[in-house]
Amino acid sequence: MRTLLALLVTGVFALSLRGPGRDNADLSMLMEPDGAGVWSELIDDFHAQYPGLRVDLIEGPPATNTREDMYTTSFLSGAAGYDIVYCDVIWVPKFAAAGWLLDLTDRLSPADTMDFLPVDLRAGSYQDRLYRIPAFTDAGILYYRKDLVSQPPATFDELMRLGNEFKSADRSGFLWQGKQFEGLVTVYLEVLWGFGGDWIDATTHEVLLDRPEAIRALEFLKSTIGTISPHAVTTYVEEDTRNLFQNGRSVFLRNWPYVWTLLNESPLRREDRVGMSPVVHARGYKSAATLGGWGFGISRFTGNPDAAWQLVEFLTRPEQLMKVQTRLGRIPARKSLVPPEFQPILESARMRPPIPEYAPASDILQRWLSGALTGRTSPEEALKNAARETRALLGM
Amino acid sequence: MTVGSSPSSVPTSIPRWARLAWFVPGFLLLLAVVCYPILRTIFLSFTHESLATGFQPEFAAFDNFARLAGDSRLRSSIGATAVFTLVSVSAEFLIGLLLALAANAMQRWRNALRVILLVPWTLPTAVIAVLWTWIFNDQFGALNALLIRAGILSSPVAWLAHPGTAMTAMIVADVWKTTPFVFLILVAGLQNIPHDLYEAIEIDGGGAWARFRHVTWPHLLPFVFVALIFRIVQAFAIFDLVWVMTGGGPGGSTETISVYTYQTYMRYLDFGYGASLAVATVVILAITAGLLYRLLVKKYESAL
Repeated sequence: MRTLLALLVTGVFALSLRGPGRDNADLSMLMEPDGAGVWSELIDDFHAQYPGLRVDLIEGPPATNTREDMYTTSFLSGAAGYDIVYCDVIWVPKFAAAGWLLDLTDRLSPADTMDFLPVDLRAGSYQDRLYRIPAFTDAGILYYRKDLVSQPPATFDELMRLGNEFKSADRSGFLWQGKQFEGLVTVYLEVLWGFGGDWIDATTHEVLLDRPEAIRALEFLKSTIGTISPHAVTTYVEEDTRNLFQNGRSVFLRNWPYVWTLLNESPLRREDRVGMSPVVHARGYKSAATLGGWGFGISRFTGNPDAAWQLVEFLTRPEQLMKVQTRLGRIPARKSLVPPEFQPILESARMRPPIPEYAPASDILQRWLSGALTGRTSPEEALKNAARETRALLGM
Repeated sequence: MTVGSSPSSVPTSIPRWARLAWFVPGFLLLLAVVCYPILRTIFLSFTHESLATGFQPEFAAFDNFARLAGDSRLRSSIGATAVFTLVSVSAEFLIGLLLALAANAMQRWRNALRVILLVPWTLPTAVIAVLWTWIFNDQFGALNALLIRAGILSSPVAWLAHPGTAMTAMIVADVWKTTPFVFLILVAGLQNIPHDLYEAIEIDGGGAWARFRHVTWPHLLPFVFVALIFRIVQAFAIFDLVWVMTGGGPGGSTETISVYTYQTYMRYLDFGYGASLAVATVVILAITAGLLYRLLVKKYESAL
C-alpha cells in the first residue's frame, strides 16, 4: 500500500515537471478549440510542405481571457512553452511592452505589408514596431431582419423606434452583449464613438469617460434595457445573442462577422430575411465599429525563431486564410480577401486604446458599465468613478 | 503520557545526527514550497514590481499598503467575500449539524447517508459551478422551468444578472457542495462523545435539549472549531466557483478577494500590489482564526 502511494506521488510529481506538451516537436502553438478541425488540417499542410518541422498544436479553452493567462504564465516562467502566440488585438501592447514578443517588422515582405489591412497592422504594432502578423479582422455589425424592417436604422433614435415597433411577445427589439466582460466594452465603445466621444485619447492618453458624450452613450445603452432589449441582456455574451437572433427572437442584433457565416445554416439567411448594416450613431456623427481580430506573434523565448516565422508566414498566406474563412467565417485581414459585403463595415473600424495597461483599464470600465446597467449606480456616477480610477491607473 | 508519544520509545542505538538527518528532506521540501513563496510574497508586497518597472523590484516601503487603504475595489471585494463567507458557512454549519445529529441518531442508514451526502463534496468545484450555472440559466435553466411550471414565476428570471440573486446563487452552490464536509467532521465528533455521559444526564432527568446543551454541544466544540476554521478559510479564499459562475459580475458585485488578487497578478501584471493583496487576505484570516479560537476552543478548555 505504502509503495503504491509512493509510486503514485512520484508519478504525479514527474508528470507535473513536464512543461506544456511538446513531444519532440520543433514548435508548439496554443490555439482556440479546433472544433471544425481546420487548424489541424492547416498544420498537416504545413508538415507536408516543410517535412523537416514538427508542430505541436495545442487546443486551448474557448475563453480568450484564459488563453491570455496561459500565455502569461508561460512567458513569466521564461520557458519556450508556446513558440507561436495566437494573439488577440488587445494583448499586443501588454505582451510587447513586457518584451515577450519578437519584433517582426523586418520579416514581413513589402508585398504583404501592402496587402494586410492598415488598421490591423497598426493594431499589431507597439511603438511603431510590428509584433503580430494579422490573420483575421473583426468589427461590430448591426444585423437586422430584412423581412420586418425595409431600411436598416442609421441613428440611435431610429433603432429605438424600429425596435419598439417590431418587437413582440416572443421577439425583442435589439440584442447586444451586456455581461461584465470585454464584449461589453466593445459594445459601449461603438455607442460612445457614435455620440462623438472617446475613452482614452490615443496620443495624449487623456481619459474622457466623464464627458457628457460618454454619459449620454451609457444612458442610451441603459434605456434599451426593458424597452427594446430584454432584462437578461446584461448577462449575455456573443453566443447567447446569436442563438436568440438565429431562432427569430430579435429584430436587431449587434455582433461580429462570424455570425453571417453561421446564419448560412438558418432559414433566416436562406430565405433572405436578414441583412447587415454598420452600427448606429447619433444624428450628426459617424458610425464606428470596434476593431477586433486575431493574428500570430512569436514568443521571445522560442528556441527556433526562423522555423516559427516559417509557420507564421505559412498560416497568414491568402490560401490558408481563405480556408479558415470558408469554414469559420472569419474575415481575412488582407485587402484582397475581404468579402465585398463586409467592406463598408470594416471601413469604419476603430482600435481600442493601444496601451500596455489595457487589461486593468478595461476591467475598470467593465465594472462600472455593468454596475450602471444593472442599476447599482447612475450612469453619471459610474463614469465619474471609472474616469477617476482610470486616471489613477495611468498616473495622471 | 502514553508510550507511543514518549521519546524513550525511539531505539537508542540510532545516533542523534541520523535522526535529524531523516528530518532534513521533508524540511527542505517544506522550505521550498511553503516558506519560500510566503517570504517572497511578503518581500514583493513592499516593492513595486510590474509591467511598468520592467518586472524589476523597486523598493516601495508602504506604498502598496497605502493604496490598499484607498482602494474601492478592494473594499467591495472584501464586502462580497465577507457576505459569501458569513452566509455560506453559517448555512453549511446549521444544515451540516442537523444532518449530523440525524445521522448519529440513526443506526441503520448512517453509512448510506454518509455516502450519499459525500457525492457533491467529491466533485471538483469548477464542475459544480458549471452545473449550477446551467440550473440558474434564464432561458434553459431547470430552476426557472420549475418555478414557472409551479406558477410561482410568470416569466424567467436571469438569476446571475442581478447582484443579489447572483450572490445567492453562488451561496446555494457552495452550500450544496460543502455541507457534506461539515457533516463529516461533526459526525466524527458526535461518535467521540462517551455514551455514559448521556446515560448520566438521563438519570438526572434531562430531556433532549439538556442532552444537547450540556453534553453534545460542549464536547462537539473542538470539532465545530475545526469545521468552521476550514470552511471559513476556504470560503474566504473562494475562487473557482466565482470564476466560473459570474466571473465577479455583475458590476463587480460578486468579485472576491482571490479573484481580484488573481486579476492583479495575472492580467495586470502588477506583482507588488498583488502580493500586498495576498498579505492583506492572510492578515484578515489570521485575525478571524484567532478570534474563533478564543471563542470556541478557550471555552471548551475552560469547560473541562
